[in-house]
Amino acid sequence: MAARQPYIDSDTSDEAVRATCDDATICKRFASSKSYWKDPYIQYFVRSVGERKAPEINRGYYARVQGVNHLLDAFLRKTQCDCQVINLGAGLDTTFWRLKDENLMPRKFFEVDFPTVVARKIHNIKTKPPLSKPLIETHSTDSLLLDAHSLDSDRYCIIGADLRDISNLDEKLKKFQLNPELPTLLLSECVLVYMTPSQSSNVVHWAAETFPTAMFVNYEQVNMSDRFGQVMIENLRRRQCNLAGVEACQSLDTQRERFLKTGWEQSDALDMMTVYSMLPQDDVARIERLEFLDERELLQQLLQHYSICWATKDKLKLGLSQLAF
Amino acid sequence: MAYGSEYGSEKKMAEGGNDAELLKEKANKYFKEKDYENAIKYYSEALEVNPTNAVYYSNRSLAYLRTECYGYALADATKALEIDKNYIKGYYRRATSNMALGKFKAALKDYDTVVKVRPNDKDAKMKYQECNKIVKQKAFERAIASDEIKKSVVDSLDIESMTIEDDYDGPKLEDGKVTETFMKDMMDWFKDQKKLHRKCAYQILVQVKDLLSKLPSLVEITLKETEKITICGDTHGQYYDLLNIFKLNGLPSETNPYLFNGDFVDRGSFSLEVILTLFGFKLLHPDIFFLLRGNHETDNMNQMYGFEGEVKAKYTAQMFQLFSEVFQWLPLAQCINGKVLVMHGGLFSEDGVTLEDLRKVERNRQPPDSGPMCDLLWSDPQPQNGRSVSKRGVSCQFGPDVTERFLEQNNLDFIVRSHEVKTEGYEVTHSGKCITVFSAPNYCDQMGNKGAYIHLRGSDLKPEFHQFTAVPHPNVKPMAYANSLMQMGMM
Repeated sequence: MAARQPYIDSDTSDEAVRATCDDATICKRFASSKSYWKDPYIQYFVRSVGERKAPEINRGYYARVQGVNHLLDAFLRKTQCDCQVINLGAGLDTTFWRLKDENLMPRKFFEVDFPTVVARKIHNIKTKPPLSKPLIETHSTDSLLLDAHSLDSDRYCIIGADLRDISNLDEKLKKFQLNPELPTLLLSECVLVYMTPSQSSNVVHWAAETFPTAMFVNYEQVNMSDRFGQVMIENLRRRQCNLAGVEACQSLDTQRERFLKTGWEQSDALDMMTVYSMLPQDDVARIERLEFLDERELLQQLLQHYSICWATKDKLKLGLSQLAF
Repeated sequence: MAYGSEYGSEKKMAEGGNDAELLKEKANKYFKEKDYENAIKYYSEALEVNPTNAVYYSNRSLAYLRTECYGYALADATKALEIDKNYIKGYYRRATSNMALGKFKAALKDYDTVVKVRPNDKDAKMKYQECNKIVKQKAFERAIASDEIKKSVVDSLDIESMTIEDDYDGPKLEDGKVTETFMKDMMDWFKDQKKLHRKCAYQILVQVKDLLSKLPSLVEITLKETEKITICGDTHGQYYDLLNIFKLNGLPSETNPYLFNGDFVDRGSFSLEVILTLFGFKLLHPDIFFLLRGNHETDNMNQMYGFEGEVKAKYTAQMFQLFSEVFQWLPLAQCINGKVLVMHGGLFSEDGVTLEDLRKVERNRQPPDSGPMCDLLWSDPQPQNGRSVSKRGVSCQFGPDVTERFLEQNNLDFIVRSHEVKTEGYEVTHSGKCITVFSAPNYCDQMGNKGAYIHLRGSDLKPEFHQFTAVPHPNVKPMAYANSLMQMGMM
């Protein structure tokens, strides 16, 4: 691979990371419009369906959404919703609204992202009734606590913060009634990989220290030391997007290690090819009929380079380590 | 847990059905102002108060259509009709939703219903006719009957009277012919990302269609002792990598024959540049430059994977139609010295296929769902003996024993095929009897694979493999199709 690695300044880098929020949202918008899964709320974050995405991308996002939801919903049921969820780097995710529709809401759903992303999301929530109504309905008073970079209601809270400043994040979460004693699910999708290994280590360590009964679900790249991985790294670098934390993405083992060595009791990881094969196969058959895929190798490579890793600690002995695929 | 919303809806029920109408009026107003999100919101609220109102569903369906949520639009229209099967607007909505989803037959049924109930409605009649045209055209395209003579785009073209503007300083055919100078100029022109004048593109297409239509489905050539041929696999619109092949291996000429084994277009950003270059060389050196059809030289693939979009954006739909006709005339297989058989996909779902069968295939069509023509374009080798259902969902996978039997029955030494990306650009399987060659390096800007081409000499017919890596290309996404350069996986 090329020896010269152009320096990307941190502002540019951060901006590129924020832009990945658009990537994810646009892809999810397209795939859901094609009926890979139902998401009636994402249209309120990006109106137009946009240009076609390749079938392997749609299937990749399907696997991601179904895989993450499987673990999330399992956690909610295990704790009978007597829990919290914190979505780190949530972007324009619509999970809260899905959980409300399905009567599967935790006691409180927290979302964290960069202040500019959060400001955008708050604006959308404020101006689109299908987004604001569920918040208002689940709130005990007539008015929500709202400022430029945060919105707080009884069941939903979104905070603008930098995940690399963990003490600031901790302070803000506690200000909005985070209860560390409650079983808590922390979720990060393609988030940790954009920070350095020590910064992401701080995040998972803080989570282990703060929540005695918890599960951390991390979706991101894996198996990155092969050619496909190297090409991906190079492509992203050309887009000013730096996978600063790719060291932890070498293998399923390195993904698990980062949790085991920061205070988590147990950790499992699967690549998305495996997850895909463990999803309900009748629905997989359905989505595979939506669009014809011309080169299966493309999907295979894609799925083998992403993983879901989940870690648990279980002071309340709820049996969290049993949660799996 | 949901105490908030229950309280809310009780309150609304108490205020009665009048509320629903008011909400609908509010929604209608938003709709008129093109504020579809709010229109949907208020139709939804109206439906919460009165969930048995077909009009609310129908109106919301239209709002969903405007926001391109075709699946929801269809669901609402269907719901409206469930409530009131005589609600004409409901049929309209459902038909429109089905049209948007490409379900033309279903849409036609609903337009038919409207026309029957409202025989004097001109708009209904017009929509029915439009839809009927599409359904008929699609049925026509699917028609297997070979005695249906489809009108060619060529007949409606008047290339002679197409004028080239004075300010066009790009390459032109010389006396209506492709020359070496023209090819060099065109390749440079394309390299600089410039567009060939449509007249020249049409000239090339019409001439190459004529040339290809005179070829048999199985092309048979003889390489003399001193001659060699270069066989390339999939190129998939990777124009700059094609230029690199010519740089590494020399331009096509009488002493430098080439065979490109299909999949020239789709996926890559420069499909037009690739195909016009290959067609140009076919016209320049018809006896030493060979093209075989790949599964991507078909309408279904072109519609999904970028080529149709690219042609429509850079030229016209009519030109794409002509490309489609030309692709149909591409030969399906090539036999070299009676010993080496080349095809894009692979061997057959059934034993007993002979070279004579291949010569006889009527190829001027879209490939059928099964049979030798389909297999030639779609099948894949597998390591284990026998045949299996293909992972692709079309054609089959064939084992070493199938290859062995086929070669023996037809007195051949080995087959060369493409169709599958390979890390090293090529792969030798079935004990050397089945070779795969793939010439699109770093496929889709993601795979990091090498490309390869094969030298085959008339003297010994032993394949010699040459690998190459990807070269840089301009950062352009294919027309109307966001390619993987822009979408690099999950973010």
